[in-house]
Amino acid sequence: MITRVEVVARRGPGGRTVLPVVRASGQLAVRRTGPTTIHLVATAFGPLGGDDAEVSLVVEEGASLTVHTVAAAVALPAREGDRPSVQRVRAAVAGALVLAPEPTVVTARAHHRAELTAELAEGATLAATEHVLLGRAGEEPGRWTGTTRVERAGRPLLHTTVALGPGAPGWLPPVAPRAYAATVSVGARLPVATGQDAVRLPLDDGWTATAWGTELHTVVRALAALEGVGEEVA
Amino acid sequence: MTAALLTLADARLPAGGHTHSGGVEQAIAAGLVRDPSSLAAFLLRRLRTSGAVAAGLAAATTLSSSGRHRGQVPSPVPLSPTSPSSEEPPAPSSSELVAALLRLDDEADARTPSPALRAASRQQGRGLVRVGRRAWPSTAWDALPSAPHHPVALGVAAAAGGLAPRDAAAAAAYLSISGPATAAQRLLAMDPITVAAVTARLSPEVDAVAEESLSRATGSPADLPADTDPLLDLLAEVHAARADRFFAS
Repeated sequence: MITRVEVVARRGPGGRTVLPVVRASGQLAVRRTGPTTIHLVATAFGPLGGDDAEVSLVVEEGASLTVHTVAAAVALPAREGDRPSVQRVRAAVAGALVLAPEPTVVTARAHHRAELTAELAEGATLAATEHVLLGRAGEEPGRWTGTTRVERAGRPLLHTTVALGPGAPGWLPPVAPRAYAATVSVGARLPVATGQDAVRLPLDDGWTATAWGTELHTVVRALAALEGVGEEVA
Repeated sequence: MTAALLTLADARLPAGGHTHSGGVEQAIAAGLVRDPSSLAAFLLRRLRTSGAVAAGLAAATTLSSSGRHRGQVPSPVPLSPTSPSSEEPPAPSSSELVAALLRLDDEADARTPSPALRAASRQQGRGLVRVGRRAWPSTAWDALPSAPHHPVALGVAAAAGGLAPRDAAAAAAYLSISGPATAAQRLLAMDPITVAAVTARLSPEVDAVAEESLSRATGSPADLPADTDPLLDLLAEVHAARADRFFAS
């Protein structure tokens, strides 16, 4: 199934954010849940292998937008063949964007591809978090491939592809985690910090943190610890 | 393939690679590498992530430096009667090349967020420029930023040596495991024949990574491989903070 979401956030009268464009078709609906907050609501089970979703977000200068989802996405294998499910988020940001979706759970034999491409203007801010769990309880891990590309003023700031699960290139014992969480943040620089299976790296005017392990809740805690460690600017 | 490729991938090329372990020293400290099979697994994950990224960047750099993407063929400074003849069109203008190499160096930075890995890459890039300039004189060296990322320097070296993007990708992929394998051998006092066998058995994987990375080197630099292993980032940063390390990275 094809899913398309398009949201434009604009600075309106009095400085509050208005949403002149809100479009959704396919498996996601958009609900405005606060002055600068929307929730993406899954209207169908899945995604299934072969599904293709694209979320296009524009946050204009002076506007703020926070995007949540209402529930974990449970990626299921294709009914036939082994096509991945794909979700692309394309963001053009001159204001402030926060992406804070619920976790993605990739069930056995499923392969989910997540892509985030963010083009930031000078002075724009971004915080994007991703929580991934391979396999439901007692189930074999599925496969997840996540690509994050952040550009600022036309220059690449961060470009990484992390692949997890059976068959993924770098997912090899003894370090083959089922749970993974990552944040990329642009707006304030933080220095290097390390933890047990967790690392935070500075970016030009930002940082990215990654944590991995067996259980998602402990991984999310490890990530949160890094987000609060060493707040002084390097 | 030519002897220039063998020289480029030779551990004896004094480009400073021998002072880097590619994360192996810290992987040993963390108990992740301790014997031939765990070394093979570590080398494979390194090859398929940072090796793939290096191979893509190196191939794209060779392509830019030799002007092949504009339907041209390389025109390095003639070194010998077997060097390309003068009937070939010129390489891209120097300002074009400067911009292209800077763009590739930026892409390397974006794919290397770890400060420790960035420093290691730039240190080895600078070392390669030093020896490459003398070994394969070419105006392309002057178009590089100072202390470029190693794969970018490698791509220029390949172009200056009259090699193809495919050769640059192969050298980058091979170098992503050969140095770390030697480091493991030294640190664990492993049998050199065993380590040589571990490395040699990864040859099909090296070829596959080089081929795949090459196939993604002809388009936009944004499409180059970006495969990342957060474990390598963590090992590099913990290693950089140690006072008792033997290798630079």
